[in-house]
Amino acid sequence: MLLAKTLTSSTFRLALIAIGTFGVIVSAIFSYVYLSTSAYVRSRSDRAIVTEYLSLKSTYERSGRDGLIALIQERIADSSFADNVYILADPSLVTLAGSLRTWPSTATAAEGWIEFRAPEPLPNATTRPLLRAMLGTFPSRDRLLVGRDISELDGFADQIKTAVISCVVLIFVLAGVASILVTRRTVGRIESINAASRAIMQSGLDQRIPLRGTHDEWDRVAENLNLMLDRIETLMGEVKQVSDNVAHDLRTPLTRTRGRLEKAYHGHRIGEDAKALIGDTIADLDAVLRIFSSLTRIAQIETQARRGAFRTVNLVDIAGEVVELYDAAAEQENTRLTVVGDREVLVTGDRDLIFDAIANLVDNAIKHGRSGGQVVVANENIDGKPVISIADDGPGIPPCEYEQVFKRFYRLEHSRYTPGNGLGLSLVAAVAHLHGARIEMLDNSPGLKLKLWFSAPMR
Amino acid sequence: MTGGHRRILVVEDDPETAGQLVESLTTSGYQVDLATSGNEALRRGATGGYAVITIDRMLPDIDGITVMRQFRDDGIAAPVLIVSALGEVDDRVRGLRAGGDDYLVKPFSFVELLARVEALGRRSDTIVKETILRVGDLALDLVSRTASRRGKDIVLFPREFQLLEYLVRNEGRVVSRAMLLQHVWDLHFDPSTNIIDVYVGRVRRKVDGQQAYPLIHTVRGTGYCLRAPG
Repeated sequence: MLLAKTLTSSTFRLALIAIGTFGVIVSAIFSYVYLSTSAYVRSRSDRAIVTEYLSLKSTYERSGRDGLIALIQERIADSSFADNVYILADPSLVTLAGSLRTWPSTATAAEGWIEFRAPEPLPNATTRPLLRAMLGTFPSRDRLLVGRDISELDGFADQIKTAVISCVVLIFVLAGVASILVTRRTVGRIESINAASRAIMQSGLDQRIPLRGTHDEWDRVAENLNLMLDRIETLMGEVKQVSDNVAHDLRTPLTRTRGRLEKAYHGHRIGEDAKALIGDTIADLDAVLRIFSSLTRIAQIETQARRGAFRTVNLVDIAGEVVELYDAAAEQENTRLTVVGDREVLVTGDRDLIFDAIANLVDNAIKHGRSGGQVVVANENIDGKPVISIADDGPGIPPCEYEQVFKRFYRLEHSRYTPGNGLGLSLVAAVAHLHGARIEMLDNSPGLKLKLWFSAPMR
Repeated sequence: MTGGHRRILVVEDDPETAGQLVESLTTSGYQVDLATSGNEALRRGATGGYAVITIDRMLPDIDGITVMRQFRDDGIAAPVLIVSALGEVDDRVRGLRAGGDDYLVKPFSFVELLARVEALGRRSDTIVKETILRVGDLALDLVSRTASRRGKDIVLFPREFQLLEYLVRNEGRVVSRAMLLQHVWDLHFDPSTNIIDVYVGRVRRKVDGQQAYPLIHTVRGTGYCLRAPG
């Protein structure tokens, strides 16, 4: 889990890019080192060959063929020239003197450089070495070859090559391991902050992200997040204070108004017309107040101030009470209202709020369902999750409106003239959110099926 | 009822609301004392003898809940009706937990307030242990949980029986929809539709259908009242 997160994290991707770039640069530097080192070694060897060739040539010019033969034999006998190879041949390429008995078949040019595998082992050796040699032809058409065993040079180059390649591989492996470790640490820390944030969103603003006391950048991130949480908590408190004050300040004059209207309504010298007018005004005032208290209530639920009342409750019991309460209302619409499903579906929550949410859903189902149809409330435990669903067989809701209906005051076109204030589903959404429950809307074909997926109860 | 049982202490800081309260309670035959602050309420409350005390939740000096707690600590057992503008579920619960007997949210109808004060005042009377309640020709057997009119059984669901019992116990008094929800269903919530009316309507059909006279009456704009004619 953590490894998967490590591999997909942006830090790790950055590290990979860094390793790639770094690797290309290191490879380029090491290739340059390798190439220039081997070129340097080769050029030094070539210079030694040229020097030797020139020295032999001048001996030939000075002392003739015999003089050179003598010198070559002297050189072969001298162990300090053991790396060198000499061949002096007559114009028909028959060896006159030298450390190799036969003229190499590839050495056809009059002069120049050749590289060849020796046709026979050198004296005091068993392998046929790789040789690099300079050829030359004297005016007498005698030919001279001076060369060196370059097997060792190649061995040296190979060693450098091996060293460079192992270095590069080692660097890649170390960088890879290091970046995984670093990323893992980062991801682990971010994950712990994420987990803490999720817990805070779930259970309220009184918690804080724990610090490790290391005073590193992660602690600073956590500190700043905690400061933000402090600020949010303060603001929420202020908002609550303001809405409490508004509630108080609005309700006092409204209480007076309602009182006056009521007094007028019950007055003795009042005509029937005026009485009806006042009665309607009181009813309207009450409707406004109901909307007002619904809004306050939704806002209050949304600020998650009610988790204190959470207990383990049985959805089946609550659903049963709701159905009992709405039984008469369903009967009036000729709607069959039934509860089905498991006998015990436990959730951790606020009984009154869950009741309120289910009551709103059942109310909607009866109101917007088909007259003479049926409304089914089903309680189930699905994969350990408590689920309650409320289904009707009415006209349903077009899927494009599924999201909309939870907005405050939103009303579907065809329900604009049925009683209600468009706040019922907002309340359901707020209650669901408080309980960490997920709302799922399904086509009951015909009708609407609304499912509330709660999380498993806390033991 | 004795005079002492008709005395009410109203704790309310808004002068106009207080005036309306005093007026409507006085009209209903109560002897009303008014306190406009928490301290005054504590002073007056200490003299005792009130049948019911109504306390506004938000007072200029001391919080209404604190006043009520103080009453309880001082051994004043009179039932308390908390009147609040906060109207939030939490406050309602907090108010009741602190020893309040009932809770009413501003703005309220005075009929509703009167109904609740009546119900609370009755609760402070000695509770009569009866097994059969009678109103007119209606009889409720509280032991077998059955109802009958003129000896003819009425088939009721348990909740319907509870509703009828509550109406009978408050015979002659107006009972609001909110009171029914609270006392019959134990619910503090505001249903957007007329489910209570529909429910009462069903009980009424069973109780009053094909009878000599109706017992359950609708009180327009307020609720219901059960009473025998005459």
